[in-house]
Amino acid sequence: MYFTRCALNPARRGARALLASPHKLHGAVQAAFPPQSTPAVAEGRVLWRLDQSEHQVQLYVVSPTRPDLTHLVEQAGWPTTTGWDTREYQPVLTRLATGQVWGFRLKANPVHSSRKAPDAQRSQRFHHVTVAQQTDWLLTRTEKFGFTIPAGEHKEPDVAVRGREVVRFDRKSATVSLSTVVFEGRLEVTDPDRLRASLIGGIGPAKGYGCGLLTLAPLRRG
Amino acid sequence: MSCLLLRLAAPLQSWGTSSRFTRRNTDRAPSRSGVLGLLAAATGRRRTDPLEELLDLRIGVRIEQPGRLERDFQTARSRDGQISMPLSYRFYLADAVFAVAVHGPDQLLETVEQALRAPAFPLYLGRRSCPPAGVLLHGMHDGDLAQVLAEAPWLASPWVQKQHRAPMVTLDTVADCPATEPRAELVRDEPVSFDPRHRQYDWRTVLSSQVTVPNPLHRSPTPIPAAAFAGGGHDPMAVFEEPI
Repeated sequence: MYFTRCALNPARRGARALLASPHKLHGAVQAAFPPQSTPAVAEGRVLWRLDQSEHQVQLYVVSPTRPDLTHLVEQAGWPTTTGWDTREYQPVLTRLATGQVWGFRLKANPVHSSRKAPDAQRSQRFHHVTVAQQTDWLLTRTEKFGFTIPAGEHKEPDVAVRGREVVRFDRKSATVSLSTVVFEGRLEVTDPDRLRASLIGGIGPAKGYGCGLLTLAPLRRG
Repeated sequence: MSCLLLRLAAPLQSWGTSSRFTRRNTDRAPSRSGVLGLLAAATGRRRTDPLEELLDLRIGVRIEQPGRLERDFQTARSRDGQISMPLSYRFYLADAVFAVAVHGPDQLLETVEQALRAPAFPLYLGRRSCPPAGVLLHGMHDGDLAQVLAEAPWLASPWVQKQHRAPMVTLDTVADCPATEPRAELVRDEPVSFDPRHRQYDWRTVLSSQVTVPNPLHRSPTPIPAAAFAGGGHDPMAVFEEPI
């Protein structure tokens, strides 16, 4: 597995188009891999996330094969000075052990399934809309993902909801609408195998559209 | 010699030292004549009574919260509605708070303090329509005017203190000073007689200055638990830098 970071230049026209549409960015990320390299699901899949702060746009990609982001950097990055940074993910994954505490960030698409009407044939997905629902969505699933979220200073689970937005973009002739949320906080590893699976396989729906990539970062004390 | 500390706060106050005829101004800080008048009312002196030893008191004012200037355009007519009285402008300070230190002999200050607890006449802040609000007396303090004004805690309203985010606050002070002081300013604000038939004011020298006091409601920004993350944000690449 490979973990890649690529800085995008939001001042460029190419970047604007990609930032405006997760559908286009999905295509650009997929184009980083040659067609025959489609991996088996057990090996993980291609996941990406866009971290936008005031003046910085970072694209993170997790992938089973080494990506080639030349086209993306040429369109939307800094081709002459900054490329992209790809690292072997395996050493980090093998280091995961029960009881470790990490800082995490996750952009997700919290949804629940239900029937629109009692007599409907099929159930469909509905967005969770409030912070409480969205936080609850994560907290009830953490065990399955191989970690728990310990209680923080205020005796509440140490997770914050940073960005909530409903993104709408065109896909072919239809409009896709996604309710996305950025969770940030502290996690404790309970099951390293499951956590590895979550890190390379993603969490929740809309993985093609920049959701579900969980990243870890060391906690700095003090 | 010590100081009696008062807190003058009200929805409206008005402290004029130079008002004439139909334009009744207010200063941005309580006047000496206004404060002495308040003390005289508390001790039961009538307007025609001599002010005597009250004139020995020295007064220092600290502007805790400057308030907002309000103008009142006032009309009046005679009782039968036939004659229009002169139109007048009256100015007020809305929502202002002042700390007033009164310096003088201990015995006199104790009498004044007792009188303020059970005033003989109603107290008001500059005009009869401006009764004081909140706790007026803030105790006796040792030291002279400058010292008490520099050391007294900030008496502004809690909402003002919360709004002021810095740990310290700089406040303007206006205090009586000897006429020999080179930076002194002259104000015609020394009451000689409050007798309505022949009011008299003399000149007085004041010294404007500034003091800095702590903000009691300042809370240093609490470290966010998330501040534990590297570099203020979340840096996923940092996991690759960790020694294995």
